[in-house]
Amino acid sequence: MVQESKKTIIAFFLICLGLTLFPFLIGGYWLRVATGIMMFATITLALNFIAGFAGYAAFGNVVFMGIGAYTTAILMVKAGIPWWIGIVAGGLLSSLYAVLLGLPILRLRGHYFAIATLGVNEATKQFTLIYRDLTEGGMGITLPLTSLSISAFNNLVYFIMFAILLACFLTSYVVSKNRVGYALRAIRANEDAAQMSGIRTTYYKVLAWALSAFFTGLVGGLYAYWFTFIEPANVFDIMIAVKAFVMMLLGGGGTVLGPVLGAAVLELISELVWGEFLRVHMLIFGAIIVLVILFLPSGMMELFRKRYSLSALLSNLKERSI
Amino acid sequence: MIIQVLVNGIILGSLYAVVALGFSLVWGVMDVINIVHGTMIVMGAYIAFLLFQTINLDPFLSIPVAAFVLFFFGFYLQRYLVNFVVRAGVFISLILTFGMDQVVINLLLVIFTGDYRSVTTSYAGSNFEIGGVVIPYVRLAIFLISILLTVALYLYTTRTKIGNAIRATALNRDAARICGVNVPRIYGITMGISAALAGACGCMYATLQTFTPFDGGYLIGKAFVICVLGGLGTVMGAIVGGIALGVAETLGATLFDPRAQEIFGFIILVLVLIFRPKGIMGTK
Repeated sequence: MVQESKKTIIAFFLICLGLTLFPFLIGGYWLRVATGIMMFATITLALNFIAGFAGYAAFGNVVFMGIGAYTTAILMVKAGIPWWIGIVAGGLLSSLYAVLLGLPILRLRGHYFAIATLGVNEATKQFTLIYRDLTEGGMGITLPLTSLSISAFNNLVYFIMFAILLACFLTSYVVSKNRVGYALRAIRANEDAAQMSGIRTTYYKVLAWALSAFFTGLVGGLYAYWFTFIEPANVFDIMIAVKAFVMMLLGGGGTVLGPVLGAAVLELISELVWGEFLRVHMLIFGAIIVLVILFLPSGMMELFRKRYSLSALLSNLKERSI
Repeated sequence: MIIQVLVNGIILGSLYAVVALGFSLVWGVMDVINIVHGTMIVMGAYIAFLLFQTINLDPFLSIPVAAFVLFFFGFYLQRYLVNFVVRAGVFISLILTFGMDQVVINLLLVIFTGDYRSVTTSYAGSNFEIGGVVIPYVRLAIFLISILLTVALYLYTTRTKIGNAIRATALNRDAARICGVNVPRIYGITMGISAALAGACGCMYATLQTFTPFDGGYLIGKAFVICVLGGLGTVMGAIVGGIALGVAETLGATLFDPRAQEIFGFIILVLVLIFRPKGIMGTK
């Protein structure tokens, strides 16, 4: 399974070690930032299964984050179940949702699939708003506070987020190297041809979406536990999904490392912008999205390959304009 | 009772049709899903609000002003931004316009703040009655103007030289260029028309309900549903989809649960996508 050079493997373990020691080296604010980066890295990697490998633009993927968050919150508040069972249940339920929905809507191609996922997200969000008995509607749910001290709690969330990210990363790696990955890439390249060659396209697409949903659901559950308050507008926010899309594009879709790098860079930038320009940070963030799409459509690695030349960036514009 | 519900649905649906007209035009002609469209409608609403506040201009009379301003906004947005990525595929342009949308929303937020705004005319509450069906004057005016705008767009795209060029470009960009159509300019004009319709729609939207800079997302959701319901890129499709959605929402709210009005549209969206992906009227 593992075909990487020794150097890469050693580097991987060193980075993991570094990230494990991280909470003991730095404090409060930066630990939260790091946890946030890992959260987005996981969401982006999860999106990458369906959008990067299979080429299906699931713009409404944030729906699984909402389902994960609400499952965890409802189980914890109404049934008094421990948080970690809630998080796992959230992931599993998201997967189930993806399988049930995926069977009909993954037959749709191109923008119709994208719109269907947006519709699913919006319908699910409205559902949580309306059925207050279960979800408290627009008031949101407040989760029980932890008995841990603040720093211990932050460390705990950091390590769980790191574990989910690692699991998602390793799953991505395995998928990219085995037949599932090849099947998905074949689907992205030409779905009809893939089907002709005997690939069970529906099976692989649903599998990819279920994986995507599982990890997004886990993140949603942990998000609920971390922030101790969720509301529909927050966990079904389409902005999260689009942000993940931009991160994936920035890092390079269909790769394993790209989405993580994209998430790290964009989340750091957005954190810095947020700190500096409280009132207009979304404006600047929107402008960053526009610039990335205009000048770095195939990801930031291109920037290094083309050696920062301005003319290379401008040629990107010419290639795609009319 | 049921007739009242149907009339309400059709009137709401005619406004929905205008919400989707421009959006559908842009999508159909250049395969661009323009997320800014919802916020363009909100811009129209703010123009109506500004004119009403400063010179007490009736919101229906501010329609030409809003349409004029928004036309140029749309034209330049297309010429100097979206045109650069139209060949890269629909998702790239979708994300680009999403980023642009964030910029515009936050500019509106800086200028107008996030307070709820409304345009309340002196005749806002008055209505008349025909055979037991109550119709407010404002809604009747919206209905008539919506029909007028739809017919105007239909005539423009089928009877004029530029309209023909737009349709030719939609059919085949390269063939149109060979025949001497200035494609970048036609794309700009198409987006301009779409934006002008959004501006007109915004003025009417302002008379119906309060609004904030964040309403664009809600409106885009409606436009999506309508386009899918009616099929893409045709004037007829927008009307059929708009009225179908308006009636479905009001019927659903009356028959089942008033709180569930919003959910119906999206359930219908997903069902139509599954069973009739080319729209109710679409051909396979």
